[in-house]
Amino acid sequence: MSSLPALFGVLVFTFLLMRVLPGDPAVFFASGPNAGKEEIEVIRKQMGLDKPIPEQLLRYLYDVGRGNLGKSLMTGQSVTTDLRERLPASLELTLTALFIAMLSAIPLGVIAALRPGSIVDHGVRLLCALGVCVPTFVSGLLLIYVFYYLLGLAPDPTGRIDVFTSLPPSRTGFLTIDFLLAGDLDGWWVAVRQLILPALTMALFVIAPLARITRASMLVSLGSDFVRTARSVGLSWWRVVVTYALRNAILPVITIAGIVFSTMLGANVLVEKVYSWPGVASYALDALLSSDYAPVQGFVLLMASIFVVVNLMVDVLYGIADPRVSI
Amino acid sequence: MRSRIAGLTFLGFGVLALSFRALPASAQSRAETLRYVTGASVNTLDPNVPGSTREAFAVSLSTYDRLVSFGRKQLNGKWVFDLDKITGELAESYNVSPDGLKLTFHLRKDARFQDGSPVTAEDVKWSLDRAVTAPVLGKAQLLTGSMTSANQFRVIDPLTFEVTLPEPDKLALPNLATVYPIIINSKLAKTHATADDPWAIGWLKEHTAGSGAYVIESFKPGEQVIMKRNEAWNRGAPEKAAFFKRVIVQTVPEPATRANLVERGDADLAIDLQASDVQSLESKGTLKVISTPQYNAVTFISMNNTIPPFDNVNVRRAIAFALPYDDMFKAALFGRGTPLFNADWKDGKPTTSAFPFPQPVRLDLDKAREYLKATGMPDGFSTTFSFNVGQASTAEPMAALVKESLAKIGIKVEIQKLPDAQMSTQINEKKLPFFTEGIVAWLPSTDYFYRNFYTGNQRWNYASIDNPELNALAQQARFEPNKAKYDEESLKLNAIHVATMPQIMLWQPSQDAVMAKSIEGYTYQFHRQVDYRDLSRK
Repeated sequence: MSSLPALFGVLVFTFLLMRVLPGDPAVFFASGPNAGKEEIEVIRKQMGLDKPIPEQLLRYLYDVGRGNLGKSLMTGQSVTTDLRERLPASLELTLTALFIAMLSAIPLGVIAALRPGSIVDHGVRLLCALGVCVPTFVSGLLLIYVFYYLLGLAPDPTGRIDVFTSLPPSRTGFLTIDFLLAGDLDGWWVAVRQLILPALTMALFVIAPLARITRASMLVSLGSDFVRTARSVGLSWWRVVVTYALRNAILPVITIAGIVFSTMLGANVLVEKVYSWPGVASYALDALLSSDYAPVQGFVLLMASIFVVVNLMVDVLYGIADPRVSI
Repeated sequence: MRSRIAGLTFLGFGVLALSFRALPASAQSRAETLRYVTGASVNTLDPNVPGSTREAFAVSLSTYDRLVSFGRKQLNGKWVFDLDKITGELAESYNVSPDGLKLTFHLRKDARFQDGSPVTAEDVKWSLDRAVTAPVLGKAQLLTGSMTSANQFRVIDPLTFEVTLPEPDKLALPNLATVYPIIINSKLAKTHATADDPWAIGWLKEHTAGSGAYVIESFKPGEQVIMKRNEAWNRGAPEKAAFFKRVIVQTVPEPATRANLVERGDADLAIDLQASDVQSLESKGTLKVISTPQYNAVTFISMNNTIPPFDNVNVRRAIAFALPYDDMFKAALFGRGTPLFNADWKDGKPTTSAFPFPQPVRLDLDKAREYLKATGMPDGFSTTFSFNVGQASTAEPMAALVKESLAKIGIKVEIQKLPDAQMSTQINEKKLPFFTEGIVAWLPSTDYFYRNFYTGNQRWNYASIDNPELNALAQQARFEPNKAKYDEESLKLNAIHVATMPQIMLWQPSQDAVMAKSIEGYTYQFHRQVDYRDLSRK
């Protein structure tokens, strides 16, 4: 509830920002070979741009209040429909990538922290540096080149599903789940194959911050008194490292993971473009380039809401990891 | 410990490799499916909707029929559309009255819409009425063919339809073959019309009601369109249905990925690859590359003739002689196109009545300096040169060369890269002094080019020129029935272009269609997209 004013602020701010940016969507979309003044006026009217800005804002707020985010000129559909179709694609990709990243980053960070300064530590550091300094579109194109073009192992990098496979009835929008619900294992496998490369590309990029923070926080907790005590009473390695040290070290990792997730969702536009992934980020970028106001505003509002939700979830997770924290 | 980690890593890679194990091949017949990949997207099923994309045009060509269509001809060994040969599509035949004021169309008796109802002259009238009265794109297009009002369209009997023209306009008939005047199933469309939307624009945007060669199977705006063959369609050249059973139009934003897809044989055809990729694919020789100069398009370096110092003809001439044309052509297009420079005009007379034409300009810095001296600014001036992000792959290297070369005669150029929407806004508001842009004409006759791109205070008059002599000649040529006289007027127009140098024509870029070796019948069309009905697999 307390986040509502923030969301409202974001809404008004993006609305005004889009109108301040130079570039008239009506002129851009009236680009047919004979489009003249009249066509431009038609589009302007259709978008409601012929009215003064305060009135446009009020109308927009009224519409948003009723759950209508406006119409996209680019796709010709309502923004709500577009986002509803595209958000699951982005979420599925981002969650898978985050899962892969956590699964590799936490063990890597723990191993590095167990032997600081050793070859393993340096190896992890090198891996992280590589992951961060190679831009996602480079690693994406590289993975496509090797696994699709050279080896022919991966399916063609065009979206969430092979063009020849029919879609399952949409229940959650997450294809991997929908296929399972429909009991179509072949279809599920097709969707998973399409998902692996883009998810891996994104994961490579975010392993670094997660592994580094795990290492740093593990170092602190491994050096603390309770671990020394635990070791001195002869508890098993697993118990010391995982149950005591890691559990105490996990709080900052969760925070970072929350931030990484929100950033990934909005910033994975390059991965979406490279893999023709029909997600929200590439949708927003296309809209921004063509000054299509409604989708950009809708996207920013969506991202802001997701950020709020993610923060809430991070707080809940805090409580689970550390019983002293209450929300 | 260390071996455990190594083991885990190994296991991880094993799982990854296993996960890519290939599936059994798809049962559907790949050979009967055409998969076309593009960087752009389809945003509406009705090409008339303001804001519709070129890919949407291409889809509408297959889902709807028009009364007539263009024939095709060979130009330097490549198939291109033929503006002078108009054949019937929904019309079995047509005649033009001797005075050129009446066009009569006789409809095919066997033509049916995709829902099975027959195509009648009533449908034709409703569709053309819609094109000239509703707020749609067809209005401005049909205006160029003197069709402006529903009163000009008349139903004579269920299979005969007549168009009356106020003047014998040569472009009336070709206009009916363009993208917009689609023939819609009026009974079906009317059931979806509302009081606010009497022409069913909202409904037709997401549904089709046509008689075309393909039926929409699924349409996801911005992602893909899948169409299946309309078996009853027989408007193709040899009186039979289109070749491919299924056509998939898929949006793949990354050009390198598109190139990979075509090279691996997963996609059959792409027309918007990067010039460098086309070059390398062509040299490998495993694919068919058909490069057709876009002979109805031109790339310009434009100068706003109303903004100083470009209001001075000698400044414009100085720039025309200071551009490194050959280097630009190589750097921007890898030489893929038709150059429009380095021509020789004997006695300063135009050699062709066609437009666009090769201009008698070349890189000659001494001459450029002389012109600059004549302007009273021998030391040059500063200006900005703009291009849009969408054109960056060709415009960026070009802009660098322009900057470098103009610096030699003292003109300091600052390069400005604008997002597409900003660029079109500023062009429309006539705020850019010096920039590069392209144009395309669907009906490329000389007077059409001059009327649309060199007259009036409108967006497409990039140079913002207002030359009374040019205006009068272009209007006169429009309704000139005598071919010899028309050529004479066209020559005069071309002479004015070079004498006043409102903007500089650079080249006509090639349309590079890259396709699997088995694909045949590709034809360069006026709308610069692929007409899926032309294609077949050997």
